[in-house]
Amino acid sequence: MPEQIMTQVISPDLNFVKDIIASGGESLKKCYQCSTCTVVCNVTPDDQPFPRKEMMYAQWGMKDRLVSNPDIWLCHQCSDCTAYCPRGAKPGEVLGAVRKISIQHYSPTPLAKMAGDPKYLLILFAIPVLLFLAYIVPKGYLDFSAIPRGEDGGIVYSKFMPVFPQIDVTFGAAAFFAALCFAAGITRYWADMSKGAKTQGGNIIGSIKETVMEILTHKRFEKCNVTKERKTSHLLVFYAFAGLAITTTLAIVYLYGFKYESPYPLYDPLKILGNISAVALLFGITFVVNNRLKNADKAGKGSYFDWLFIMVIYAIALTGIFAELFRLADMAVLAYPTYFAHLVFVFFLFAYAPFSKMAHMVYRATAMVFARHTNRES
Amino acid sequence: MADNKKVLVIGGGFSGLTAAVETAEAGIDVVMVEKTPFLGGRVTQLNKYFPKLCPPNCGLEINFKRIKNNAGITFHTLAEVEKISGQEGNYDVTVKVNPRFVNDKCVGCNACAEACPVEIPNEFNFGMDKTKAAYITHNQAFPFKYAIDGRYCKGASCAKCAEACKYDAIDLNMKPETISLNVSSVVLATGWDSYDVSKLDNLGGGKIANVITNMMMERLASPNGPTSGKILRPSDGKPVQSIAFVQCAGSRDENHLPYCSYICCMASMKQATYLREQYPDSTARIFYIDLRTPGRYEQFYWKVKDDPKVSFTKGKVAKITEDPETKDVIVEAEDIQLGKKIKAKFDMVVLAAGMVPSTKASKIPGDITYTADGFVASSSLNKGIYAVGTLKSPVDVSRSVQDATGAAIKSIQSVRRSK
Repeated sequence: MPEQIMTQVISPDLNFVKDIIASGGESLKKCYQCSTCTVVCNVTPDDQPFPRKEMMYAQWGMKDRLVSNPDIWLCHQCSDCTAYCPRGAKPGEVLGAVRKISIQHYSPTPLAKMAGDPKYLLILFAIPVLLFLAYIVPKGYLDFSAIPRGEDGGIVYSKFMPVFPQIDVTFGAAAFFAALCFAAGITRYWADMSKGAKTQGGNIIGSIKETVMEILTHKRFEKCNVTKERKTSHLLVFYAFAGLAITTTLAIVYLYGFKYESPYPLYDPLKILGNISAVALLFGITFVVNNRLKNADKAGKGSYFDWLFIMVIYAIALTGIFAELFRLADMAVLAYPTYFAHLVFVFFLFAYAPFSKMAHMVYRATAMVFARHTNRES
Repeated sequence: MADNKKVLVIGGGFSGLTAAVETAEAGIDVVMVEKTPFLGGRVTQLNKYFPKLCPPNCGLEINFKRIKNNAGITFHTLAEVEKISGQEGNYDVTVKVNPRFVNDKCVGCNACAEACPVEIPNEFNFGMDKTKAAYITHNQAFPFKYAIDGRYCKGASCAKCAEACKYDAIDLNMKPETISLNVSSVVLATGWDSYDVSKLDNLGGGKIANVITNMMMERLASPNGPTSGKILRPSDGKPVQSIAFVQCAGSRDENHLPYCSYICCMASMKQATYLREQYPDSTARIFYIDLRTPGRYEQFYWKVKDDPKVSFTKGKVAKITEDPETKDVIVEAEDIQLGKKIKAKFDMVVLAAGMVPSTKASKIPGDITYTADGFVASSSLNKGIYAVGTLKSPVDVSRSVQDATGAAIKSIQSVRRSK
């Protein structure tokens, strides 16, 4: 019986391969397509499973098939594949690198390239530093004794850096910019995914609901073996951020709704929530780092892209907590610089969210909704 | 130094036997030492072996005969080399000979085994059945002389075997002996072990009853094996109707054995034919990464492929579980050609376990260097010391024989040089 032979011309994008290698996927060429990875993966669908096919696409430089593929985000980098890979090809790390490239691909500004490359790190930090210095320096606030105090003589950060317009306009603009970039990114991503999908038209609202529920419970993390503890650490960081988001919203309500200005007393519900969230964030991110170091042999050491994101969160938690402690202790010499650093790190996280690993929450959620919508997942 | 014209061969498997008889038949005296009580090595455990697919006796029998007929060959069973020192032409070797507790008067009547009250796991059959502490591995064993396993025997306080023996062949007071030798050259032929599948935790780790190794499959199919050659699965003795072969069980895997073990693809295809010949309705499925059929072995692959009841699936098995009720084995792989993750159930599964050089578990004394994978680094061996066959890389029997013949020539040259 003559078999029908399908021919397909592949034009490899060699720069894409180099990019993966440079982004932490240096092991990709070791893959010999045995598919151990796919079998030990507990989060892949059974039909057209990952990550073996992604390893092949990556080796062959098939960028179009990868960056617009929902599967790259259905992967949660449990690293079971990496631990069992007989060749040390580290599929988990390779897919991590592909995700980074996908984030950059769908992010419309040059900042995308800069966020993924250590040589631009100083520039990225210089932007918020200069932005905030531009207010402080003319005021003469580099001399901390020149900074006005509160009615009780204590340190009041809003007198150092006013909430309006400096803080709220700066961060509002950063958040708005990030939101625009995300909107543009996921619109293109969704369109690209749709081109490749076999089926369309599930219940989109239902898909979103299910995805949100899954994210809130972190159910999928339970399927990981090598990085089992990650569910706890990631959940802690996730809910700490949620707590801090609520704190920020409340602060806006306090200020603009009730003309109630910070600093708030420690017994205030907003303060309690904020402090608990800050400590949860510190613990959570510490667990994240510990787990990563502990599993490095089996799961791989992680990329610059990963570690930059982790370190920024770490810095936000530490500078936030210490800024509060130094303020309460009235240690101006430490308090103002720490608060300044805190603002810089928070700006970094917000403004560069669409280009940094922070974007994973948006793209992964989008891919998860899409996979449900197209019956790739149920 | 009248003694130094000798050659020492360490290991009495097919390689060692070949090196010994080829050397001795060229007129050089040979001393052979073998760790177990019997000669023949791994080949004796096989049902059939390549390239002719004949039973082990074809090939081994003729070599045993050549040994018996050659006064120039001395061999010690239950013997281990403790020390090697010196240089080509003058190696001093210390050999420890452990007691067999059976002397040359043994006629192989089995009375001792019948009388022996101690049951022990049968290592020759990889623990799939029991034997007695007084035993012989199979009916073609050489030397055809029972052995008593000192690790299990209760000794003189029991002595039921000695009472049963009509030939005064049992001596429970035998003690280990030490022999000193002076030889011109040494042939290392200590062979290989199966990779320890308990390390393959995702493949059941040796804990699933109906998951066996390829060497166990040889014993199951062998007429002198635990089931007298009927392929019955271990959990319930049911004739095996569906079987899966899991290639690269440990091999080509940097977490286990980073190299290809060379023989396993051929072994699995051969074993598929064992089952197919025994049960006409049976099916066999071979899961592989790449099928490796060195040289002319490709033709055997064509033959096996023509059997519609043997199927080949590209995709490594990376998960094996057991159905707790039926004890059937569930195998998971990606069928790469279909792009589908599959789960399939089989009566029994054979892990194509890789080859590990025996020196990984017990090093040969003396100045011997090893590769990162544990094989003997033959290029850095001292002059007059030659490694053979599976000690250098995974190979089949015929390549081991060729290699051993080459080593015989080199040993003869060592002897000539040292005259």
